[in-house]
Amino acid sequence: MSDLKYAYYPGCSLHASAGEYDLSTRELFKALNIGLTEVPDWFCCGATPAHNVDELLSLSLCAKNLELAEQVEGDLAVACAACFSRLKFTQHTLDENAAKRKQVEKAIDAPVRLDGAVKHLLEILAKDFGLDHLKDKITKPLAGLKVACYYGCLLTRPPEVPNLDCVEAPTIMERVVEAAGAETVVWTHRMECCGANFTLSRPGVVIQLSNAILDSAKAAGADCIMVGCPLCHGNLDIRQKEIEGVYSTEYGLPVFYITQLVGLACGLSADKLGLDALIVNPMPLLKEKQLL
Amino acid sequence: MIISQKTMELDVVRKVEALSDTSVRRCFQCGKCSAGCPMATFMDHPPNRVVRLLQLGQWRRILAGRSIWYCASCETCSTRCPNKVHLASIMDALRKLSWDLDGPSKESYVQLANKVFLDNIRTYGRQYEMRLAAVFNVKSGQFLKDMMLGPKLLAKGKLKMFHSKNRNMAEIEKIFSRIEEMRKKGEAL
Repeated sequence: MSDLKYAYYPGCSLHASAGEYDLSTRELFKALNIGLTEVPDWFCCGATPAHNVDELLSLSLCAKNLELAEQVEGDLAVACAACFSRLKFTQHTLDENAAKRKQVEKAIDAPVRLDGAVKHLLEILAKDFGLDHLKDKITKPLAGLKVACYYGCLLTRPPEVPNLDCVEAPTIMERVVEAAGAETVVWTHRMECCGANFTLSRPGVVIQLSNAILDSAKAAGADCIMVGCPLCHGNLDIRQKEIEGVYSTEYGLPVFYITQLVGLACGLSADKLGLDALIVNPMPLLKEKQLL
Repeated sequence: MIISQKTMELDVVRKVEALSDTSVRRCFQCGKCSAGCPMATFMDHPPNRVVRLLQLGQWRRILAGRSIWYCASCETCSTRCPNKVHLASIMDALRKLSWDLDGPSKESYVQLANKVFLDNIRTYGRQYEMRLAAVFNVKSGQFLKDMMLGPKLLAKGKLKMFHSKNRNMAEIEKIFSRIEEMRKKGEAL
């Protein structure tokens, strides 16, 4: 029995387009006996649009969420790489800049608490729970599955903020999925931008950037891609068919969330991991590798 | 471009520096930001030139172009700058400046997307992707944009037709209005 307990900040996407990330996170944590309690009435972190045009608003929304998280015992577990980045960026900025901190405290009408740790799920699995401990929980190793680990932008950058792993050559995703028995591929685009929230305003940008990522993963011999961000997932999974059409090619690369692959290796069934919600159907691949 | 004391507007540049908490004067134009920028290909002024134009007080030229609206906030430039110029934050500051001035931008789609997104937070506390996409399409006049994706996403349970409001909505409204109030009084940029 693990005595780890976390406050959980799912973020907006996990309540809609990334429902399978939310489901697989809850199921995996349950299977690993890690406590997870959702922060009541959390707000949107503001994501890119808020800091894009109004940094004070972005900082205030995140500070408010950090305050709300104080109601729940434990460090704050964050699933979405973008929410994770914004919450950590807020802690960092308000710690360094007294003037901004004062403004934010006025905006939320409360003192800012900066001592609570904010952790991405990867960090919890790799560091708090520990890879050795995780290996003990693996009942169905992902033998023969070649995974391209895609970090995207915000899990590691900028260097002084997330403090998750090396900023230019991280290995935390590879270490987690290798602990689950999978193979990882060496590829060029694991930290290149997918086009992020241009998916709404300028989808053409996303199609171009995400194509380069899919192309690189395929060329490296990957069977699938693993991500820790719902926005990256949307761009690589939901738009994959469209990208294939534009570039007259075929990738057929299922895109999994970290928690789905680790959950699978822990023996969780497909319905508990929301595998049917993925747009690029992962079932043929998983059957071929005898992982279901 | 004629650079003279008349066209160098450094007070605005100082505002950008205050907002972004970084100094444009540290840049020695090595170009590392532009080399690593995934969006430079879409920009009229590449990232290093944006900083150079700021050094010369030419912020109007930046705002008249589209570079700031094509920055994806991937933070690669800030990560790799040898002089700790936090260019991603400078881009934020420039967008805020443009947002406040409501000045000419060739990239109104991005501004519109940001506006719809922030309106959603103020009204509902959280982001509802269905509403976000629908309102954006209507307001941008692209009624059929991504229409093919809709049914697929609905079938997969990825679009929620109905949603509930947070119970603490009054608090979010207070945050928005306090910030507006602070700006009116000149207590915040």
